[in-house]
Amino acid sequence: MSQSAVKLMQSVMVAFALLSFASLANRPEFQLELKNHLFYPAEIEIPANTKVKLVIYNLDTTPEEFDSFDLNREKVIFPQKKSVIFIGPLPPGRYKFFGEFNPNSAQGSVIVVPKKAATNNTNLEDLALIYTVPLAANSFLLKEVLHAN
Amino acid sequence: MSYLLFKIFTHFGLLWLILSGLSALTSQVALADGVVVDKVYHPYVLPNEQEFEWRMLSHQNDAGNSLGQRIAYGKSITDNVMVEFYIVGERDSDGDFGLSAYEIESRWMMTDQGEYWADWGLLLEVEKVHRLNIWEVSTGLLFEKEFGRNSLALNAFLIYETGGDINSEFETEFRLQYRYRWLPQVQPAIEIYIGEDYTGIGPTFMGIQRFDGQKQLKWELGFITGLNGDDKDHILRASIEYEF
Repeated sequence: MSQSAVKLMQSVMVAFALLSFASLANRPEFQLELKNHLFYPAEIEIPANTKVKLVIYNLDTTPEEFDSFDLNREKVIFPQKKSVIFIGPLPPGRYKFFGEFNPNSAQGSVIVVPKKAATNNTNLEDLALIYTVPLAANSFLLKEVLHAN
Repeated sequence: MSYLLFKIFTHFGLLWLILSGLSALTSQVALADGVVVDKVYHPYVLPNEQEFEWRMLSHQNDAGNSLGQRIAYGKSITDNVMVEFYIVGERDSDGDFGLSAYEIESRWMMTDQGEYWADWGLLLEVEKVHRLNIWEVSTGLLFEKEFGRNSLALNAFLIYETGGDINSEFETEFRLQYRYRWLPQVQPAIEIYIGEDYTGIGPTFMGIQRFDGQKQLKWELGFITGLNGDDKDHILRASIEYEF
C-alpha cells in the first residue's frame, strides 16, 4: 500500500509543480500606504475571483507586519520600503487586515466585489475627482482630503 | 522581463530537478523506516522572526509505548530563510529518558505566498545521533495550496542515512495535511503520513494566539492511527511554538 501511495503522492506533486507554471499572468495591481500607523485607503475594493497584487508602501520609520487571518497572509513591511502581497482569487465579501505592531490604529479591509464593480484605488480617486471637481474650488486640496480619509 | 525569466527558471528549474530526482530514485530507495509521524511543514518564513518550539510524540502499539520529545530554537536569517536547532530526547527500552540526537534545520521560502498557483519551499535537515556514528541528511519539498478557507500542505522528503553504525541508504517519506481555517485559535485538519511499513491517518487540531507585536503562540495536537494491521497503533503528537 505504501509504495503505491508514494507513487500517487509523487504524481500529485509533479502535477502541482506543472500547474504552478501555468499561473504567471500579469495581475491587477492595487496600492496602499502606511503612514502614522494608518493604512490609506483603509478600505480597498478588488474584483472577485481574481488574483491581485497589493503593493504597500510603509512611509513610517518603523517596521510593520501586515496580518490577516481572513486573507491568510502575514508579511513584514520594512520602514521606508514597499512590500508586495498577492491575494485572491476570493469570493465577494469583506476581509479584514491589521498591522501587528500597531493593531489599534493600523486596520483596514479588502472588499471583494463582483468584477464589473471593482476599481483600483487610482481609478477610484480619479472617479471621485471627476464627479466632484465642479463642486470643488481646488482639486489638489480635494485629493489631499481623499488621501487623508 | 529577463529578471522575471530568471526568477521562473530559478524557482521551477530547482523544483523540477528535485522532483525528477525523487522520481528517479524511487525505484532504488526504501521508504523511511520506523515511525514517520512528526509535523507537516508549511513553506512560509517571516523576516525578523525567532521561535522556541517543543514537540512531543507518544507512540502506543503492540510492543508498548515510546516517547520522543524535542526542543528547538529558530531564527530567520534572511527575508526567506529560517534556521532551527533541535535537541531530541527519547525514552529508551529501560524506560530512561535521555538525549538521543541533535539536529540543524534550514527552511527556505522559495515563492511568495500567493504569488503562484501554489506556494513552495525547501527544507534541509542534518541530524546526528547522540554517541553513535549515525548521520541523517534530509531534503524536503514543501507545498501549500489554499482553497478558500481550506489549505492543503504536502511534504515530500528524500532522506540519506549514513555512518559507521548504520548501513547507508536513501529513503523517502510523505506527509499531507488538509486544514480548515475556521478560527485563528482552532483549525481542524486531517493528516496522513507515509513511510516504510507505516501509513497513518488521523485528525489534528491547531491554532494560533497572537499577543503584542510579533509575539504569538502556535499549538498543534494530533491523533494518528497506523493502518498497518497492528491491533494497537496510535500516535499522539503535540507541539507548541512561541514566536517573537
